[in-house]
This record gives sequence, C-alpha cells and structure tokens, in this order.
Amino acid sequence: MPRLIIDEREIEVPEGTKVIDAAQRLGIVIPRFCYHEALGSVGACRMCAVKFLQGPFKGVQMSCMIDARDGMVVSTTDEEAVLFRKRVIELLMMNHPLDCPVCDEGGQCLLQDETVSGGHGRRRFRGPKRTYRDQYLGPYIKHEMNRCIHCYRCARFYQEFAGYRDLGPLRIGDRMYFGRFSDGSLESPFSGNLVDICPTGVYTDTTARFKLRRWELERSPSLCNQCSLGCNTAANAHHRGVMRVEARFNSEVNGYFLCDAGRFGFSYSNGGTGHRERPLSPRIAGAPASAHAALTAAREALDNIAAKYGPRAIAAAGSHRNSFESQCMLDLICRTRDWRGPVFFWGPEDRRKTLSAVEGLDGEIAVSMREIEKADFVIVVGADPLNEAPMGALALRQAARKNAPVVTIDPRPIFLPCGFEHFPAAPEKIERYLGMLVWKAVEKDAARFGKDAEEFCRYLAAECESCEPPAAMARLSQLLASCSRPAIICGTDVTLQTTPAFAADCVRLLRLAGKQAGLFFLLPGAGSFGSALLSGTDDKTFADLVEDIEAGRVRALVVGESDPFHHYPDRARLESAMSKLELLVAIDYFPSETVRRASFFYPSSTIFETGSTYINQEGRVQFAHPVHCGGVPIRGGEHPPRVYSDLVPGGDHLPAWKALWQIAGTPDKDAGPGGISPEKFIPAALPAFDGLKAGHGYPVDGPRLLTAKAGFQGKWERASADARTGPENPEAFELLMVEWMFGTSEFSAWSDSLDAAAAAPHMSMNSKDAARIGLCDGDTVSVELDGGAFEIVVSVSDRTAEGVLVIPRHHSFEWRKMKDSPARVSAEKIRKI
Amino acid sequence: MLPDELKFKLREMIAGAESPREKAIDVMFAIQELQGWMSDEAMVEAAELLGMTPLELEELATFYDYIYRSPVGRYVIKVCDSTVCWLQGHQRVIDYISSRLSIPMGGTSADGLFTLLPVCCIGYCDRAPAMVVNNRVFGNLTPEKIDRVLTQLAEKADFSGSE
Repeated sequence: MPRLIIDEREIEVPEGTKVIDAAQRLGIVIPRFCYHEALGSVGACRMCAVKFLQGPFKGVQMSCMIDARDGMVVSTTDEEAVLFRKRVIELLMMNHPLDCPVCDEGGQCLLQDETVSGGHGRRRFRGPKRTYRDQYLGPYIKHEMNRCIHCYRCARFYQEFAGYRDLGPLRIGDRMYFGRFSDGSLESPFSGNLVDICPTGVYTDTTARFKLRRWELERSPSLCNQCSLGCNTAANAHHRGVMRVEARFNSEVNGYFLCDAGRFGFSYSNGGTGHRERPLSPRIAGAPASAHAALTAAREALDNIAAKYGPRAIAAAGSHRNSFESQCMLDLICRTRDWRGPVFFWGPEDRRKTLSAVEGLDGEIAVSMREIEKADFVIVVGADPLNEAPMGALALRQAARKNAPVVTIDPRPIFLPCGFEHFPAAPEKIERYLGMLVWKAVEKDAARFGKDAEEFCRYLAAECESCEPPAAMARLSQLLASCSRPAIICGTDVTLQTTPAFAADCVRLLRLAGKQAGLFFLLPGAGSFGSALLSGTDDKTFADLVEDIEAGRVRALVVGESDPFHHYPDRARLESAMSKLELLVAIDYFPSETVRRASFFYPSSTIFETGSTYINQEGRVQFAHPVHCGGVPIRGGEHPPRVYSDLVPGGDHLPAWKALWQIAGTPDKDAGPGGISPEKFIPAALPAFDGLKAGHGYPVDGPRLLTAKAGFQGKWERASADARTGPENPEAFELLMVEWMFGTSEFSAWSDSLDAAAAAPHMSMNSKDAARIGLCDGDTVSVELDGGAFEIVVSVSDRTAEGVLVIPRHHSFEWRKMKDSPARVSAEKIRKI
Repeated sequence: MLPDELKFKLREMIAGAESPREKAIDVMFAIQELQGWMSDEAMVEAAELLGMTPLELEELATFYDYIYRSPVGRYVIKVCDSTVCWLQGHQRVIDYISSRLSIPMGGTSADGLFTLLPVCCIGYCDRAPAMVVNNRVFGNLTPEKIDRVLTQLAEKADFSGSE
C-alpha cells in the first residue's frame, strides 16, 4: 500500500492506483478528458499534467499514466503544471465551436469545466475553425462532430469496452473524425453510454434534444426495472415528464454504464403526445371518475363480492414488474382479507424455476456483475445475456477481454460482443452438456469431495458414459480445470425446471474442487426475486387462477401492475375467462388490454414517481427514489385544464401499494390509510427486512438477502428421467418463446422510444431442420398452433439447436395461440407462404 | 464490384497471412492499382474479404496518405512540404504545378491525368525541393525539370489501358 503526498496531504492507496485516482480520494479532481476509470489510461489528452516534486518520477508528468508509489510528492497547483494545462486546454479549444448556448451538453460539460479550471478564456488563434459533416447515428444518438476534442473516449468505449465495430476513429491529424463508415443506426445496444462518457457534446441524447437545460432538471437516484439486474440510474425530470435517464455508478452492479433499453425505455411514464396515452385518470366502467369515487366504488364492489360469494372468490395478481412494496401489500391483503393469491407467476414452470434459483443461491456462491468481469472462465447456460440482461453481456465481455474463455450452452443462436464458444443445445440437453463440461474438469479430484457430493458425482459420471461429448468440449474442460474463478450464468426462461438447481450444484462441485466458483442467475423481471421470497408453498400461479375463474370459484380479480393479456400464452382462453369475471379491478401505469377491460381502474405511479424497492437477481436490495410527482406533462401534452384547482392535472395516481390498500378496504382493526407504511408492512411480510429502513435506510450497495449456505440441491435425478422419456412426438418442434432486448417486454410495448429500436420479429431454426422441411433463410411461414396460426419470417442458422423453433414474444404479432406450454408443433403445421 | 480475377488474387493473398487483417493495406493497394482509388463499394467488398467491418478498414484507409478515398488522376503528384523542402521553396513548386495544370492543391486536371497533393518528408532532403509522382521520386526541382517530367508523363499516358 503506497503512501504519497499530494498537495501537501498524505494518502495511502492500494497498489496499482493511478495518481489521478489517488488525488480524487483526497477530493482533488485533476482535470482529464481521455482518462476514465472504466476505460483506463492512455495519456493522450495531456490534460491531467501535475508536477512530481519528489520520488521516482520528476517534473511535469501525466497523473493518469503513473502508479502511486511510496515517497511521491505531487503538486497539482505547481506553476509549471498549471501553465502546461492552460496551454493544453487552449489547444484543445482551438477548433471548438463555442456553441454552448445551443448545445445540450451545456451545464454538464466536462469541456466547460476543464476550460474554466484550466484558466483558458481568450482565443489567440485567428485561423478558421475546422468543421465536419455529421452523421445520422440512429434514433438515440445525435452526432455533432465540430465539438470534438479528439479524446478517443467514444472509440475506446465503443470498440474496446463494449465490443462493437461500427464506430471508430477516422482520418488523421486535426481532421480526426469519430463516426461510422456511412450514415446509419449504431449497432451497439450500449450506444447511450456515448452521451455519458463524451466529455463534450459530440454525442447527445436525441430523445431529450432541445427539451431541457441541466440545471432545470429534478434529479434522483433511481433504478432500472426492465430486467432483473437492477442497474442504478439517475432519473431526470422536468415539467412533469421524465426527460432523460443516465447511468449511476454502482461498483457491484452496473459500474458506470447502462444499456439502451434501460436508458431510453422511460417514455411510457410520460403521458401526452409523443407517447402512447398513459392512463392518468381513474375510471369506473371505462368512464373517467374522481379518485375518491373510483377507490370507494371499487372497494364497495369488492365488499359485495365478498359478501355474496365469500372472500375466497376474490383473487389478486401481481407481476415481475411490481415493486417489493406492492408485492408485500398484495401479500398482506390476501393474508388479512383471505383473498386468493397473490400470484406473481404466469405458470408453474416459471414459478418453480425462479423459486429454485432463489433457493439455490447462497451468500457463498452468489456473484455480482463486477465479479463476473473478474471471472477467468464463464459458462452461460440457458441464458441469452444480451437479450435477457444486456449489462450482463457487457460484464461477460470484460471477462473475455482478460482472456477468460466464455462458453454458451443454449438453444438460441446466441450473440455476445466477445469471443465465445457456443454449443447449441435444446433445453433438455443443457444440463447434460453442462454436466459433461464440469465433470471432466473436476473428475480427477472427485474422490476427496466427501459424502455430500457423492451422489451427484456418480450421476454425472453415468451421464458422461451414456453419450459422446460434442467436439471441443474436452479442451474446454481442461481449461475449466485449470482456472481458479469460474462463474456460471444460468437463465430461467428457456431452461427446464431443474436446470437452475443443477447449475447451483455444478458451482458447488467446482468449489469442492478448490475453485472460487460463482453463480449468477438471470430472472424474468425486476421484481422476480421479491416475488419468489413472498411466494408461499401453495404452488399457485396465474394459470391456476384461470382455472378457478372458469370453474366459478373466483368472481373478482384484482390486478396490480400486471397485464395477463401480454403474457398469457392462450389469448382466446384468457378472454373467455376474463369475460366470466363479475369484477375486474386493475391498477397500472400502462394502457394495457387488462386496463381497458377493467370495471374499475386506478392509475398507479411509475418507478419515477414513487419510492420503490427492488431486489435484483443476486438478492441485492436497492431503492429507487422518486424524481417527480408525475401528472400530465406540461410539454408536448394538451394544455392543462383551465379550471382553477390546487391539484396537479393527472396527479391522481398512487403507488400501487397505496391504491391496493385503499381498494381492499381498511378493516376496523387496522389503522386508517395513513397508518400504513412500507417500513412496517415490509418487515411484517419478510423478517429479513427487520431493521432495514426502506429508502434512505438501505446501505449504499444494498444488503443481499441470501441464505448463508444452501448446500446441494439434488434435483437432477428427475431431470434426467424427464429428458430420457422424451416427447411423445419426437419429430415435432419445441416452440421456445424468448425475450428480445427490444420489442418483447411490456415496457417495449408501451414506450415509443424503445419501439424505435425494435427489429422485425423472426423465427430461428437449425439449418438441418430447415432443409428437412424445405425452408430457406428469409422465407415467410405460417405456423399453425392449437389456437390458430401466425406468420413469421424464418432465420436459418447452424447455431440454433436442432428440434426447436425460437420465436420472440414480440408485441408486433399475435403469438398467444398456445393451448399447452411449452408448445410443440409438428413439421406439417409449418407452411411456407 | 471487384472483378472475379482480382478477388481470386486477393483471397489467395489473404489466405497466406497469419491473420487476414495484416493484409489490409496490400489488399487496398492491389485494388487501387486496378481501379485507381478505393470506392465505397470497393471498401465494403475488401472489408468482407479481410473479415473486417467497413469502418475498421476505413480507419486504416483514411489514416494513410497513399490510399485514395476519392478519385485521383492517373499520376498523383505529391510535393513534399516538410522542413527542408519548405526552406528550399516548395511553395514555388506547388504554385508552378498549379498554374501549369490549372488545378488547386488537391485538384485533378481536366484531362484526368494529374492530381496534386502534399506529402510529408520523403527523405530527399539532400535534393530538396522534391516530389513523388506515383512511385517515382524527383529532386532538385526547377520549373524546367517539372515541365520535362510532366510532358513526358503526359506523352507516355496511353488511354487504352496499359502503360
């Protein structure tokens, strides 16, 4: 631990810390352009010059290039260093257009800050400024090359850090240009980070362009709730609209960055023109009503149902996008009112997979995204990180950049922005391949693993005997045997029920072999971990509720931030069940089909308007602070009502948990509506929250809710049995419905900003399968399911597993025509058209 | 579209390399030799042969002076503008060529024969001022010498294709 003196103050820093970072620990921010902690040092911009007075280096040096060492004495204020920086900034500003008044970066611009800190104020150069032609870079990023100071941050992030190859440095000298080969959308789904890392306004956020100035914004620490990773964001609101979302640093979760879905996927929360209509007004039978009337009427209607059929005739459903507050409230209401539910999962498979993931993860084996970056071997099983948890793919790339082999075992034709080895495997083969890979790596040590692992070892050995491993597997097993920090990333969407537990056992086996092995699950949504913690033992899901409704056992349904019409795979059946209901109460912020049909609707607040707790897929509890009060945005919407009122137009929305509490009716024994708070009802639902004060009370990095040690799960026997019996009709294709980064989520369905990036849906299939039934890449086919047919374009690849059809749950076509799930479809039901 | 014959030659050249991209410059030179410059279409096709993205090839192409991303004349006259030539009056050379051919710096003569460009030091400092025309270097330039060189080149130019 070197000790050094910077500006007459002593500091001790870890080995390998750059002087620029050591100074920052003292609160001294040395000016910089090219240096960024995530991108590392290149020493290109010369802005971070300081003077080394004593120690191994002498004179003016770049503080980003030199590791802190014992005995260094550094001055950032030395006359020579100050003059050096002043000249550098003058040079960098030579061609800058000084268009700050019309630049979106103005007010949050590193170039402005460093120009002032460098002491440059008057332009001496009288020559003409260099100008460029800008490029079209797609719906998110606006290009303005004249402002560029050639720091290379964009190219280094885009190519080196994120692994995409269509934006980079062109030309030479003072004509240097950062851009694409030709105009066109940036291929990287991490392009939004260019806005954050560009030190000036070369890349600005198109969606927020000319709408705001930084100093007018309301800002709050928030979270992304679009996938299960729980990336940290900073939300920016203005005039009752969310204007922009930026990445917020969290060392363990997302680091400095954010994916484009998380960054640009907020437009659903803004009503008014420019976005599809967000329902901001309470409704009774479709007609606008006052907040009080809607809540009272819904409560009375529910009371009537309870009086007529008993409380068990009322069921409650939540979802994976609920905040933990809403989930706990649903749980509380169902317990105290004796309603049915709450259900958070769509089918028993989803439920069991998520539950077994949460049970199988313990504090010892769970790893964060940061630890994935440090892994020296990563196995991705039944997971498509780029589509299911995009920032996970970025973490994988960082591991791969340090030469960690990356292996994917998945039925989909996976793409990752790094080198990796893909084994196409139908869901029932995933465990077998993973088992082979791991067993061959630890086999030689198996004798000393002890009793716990005995049975699992025997099972794996037998599996390996029973079939030939794919080529390349043996070599990878050897690499796995020689690594020290392997990690397994396991998905829960296309996998078998048993796979999460199997993956956890494989990690435990690797740990017995002396490795610091870690486990990282991808769950269906931001609220999945929380819903698993609250799901009791009754094994009930939305599929059971549909049966209950059909059988007349359930007469009223309360849906809190959930849209069964988006998720349920059999639309016709759902429609007929929903029409049997006497009462449908919906609380949501999306203008969903469920909301449209509801007898009573109450608008709920989005994550930007209310404090929300989310527990990410590694069990980390985090809190999103509200950024604004919401309501009809002043900009881009209708003129606010011309009636005098002290209420915010469109401000009737409530956090879903509050609306639920009021609709459920406060029993006499409870306090009034004001008497309930998440600080009380969350610990009541989950004792692990005792002592954690919601919101400001959570530790900064979030406590992790994990069991101390879970041990071997031992659920693999059943898996092998299932896999061996095989399907009834082996010729039939298995239909795998999957998520895409853009186009499949509910957020995507209701955010114009996300829709702009969504590609047209296509169905992936293996080339041998395609040849067998006479299909070519690019053909349009009609796929006939039990409940009707849909049309889709075929994409043929060797990288798709045989025997499966991979189809996105894309909102642009009606795929919800499946009677069974997972559905199978025989070859003659697929017709070329 | 690159001719099939050239493509075949390029594929062979790339196959001989340890990693394809190390042949990027040679591939572009080979294309330029045939077509005179690197058109957008040629860039896209060359990038595909090299397993690079067009952007990655463009990064290289726009870095180097000798790869032309816009059409040039049959003879590219590059006048050295580095220190010694500058001292020895490179501006006079440029002015003379400009007026003789009626083209500004960077321009191509109306007959499509000559393009005038600057170049960094070519190591001919002992014979400054100097210029390079295609792959030949000429030093100790005087108006008479320039006249002689340009006249010879113009006469030699054979518009049927080969020189």
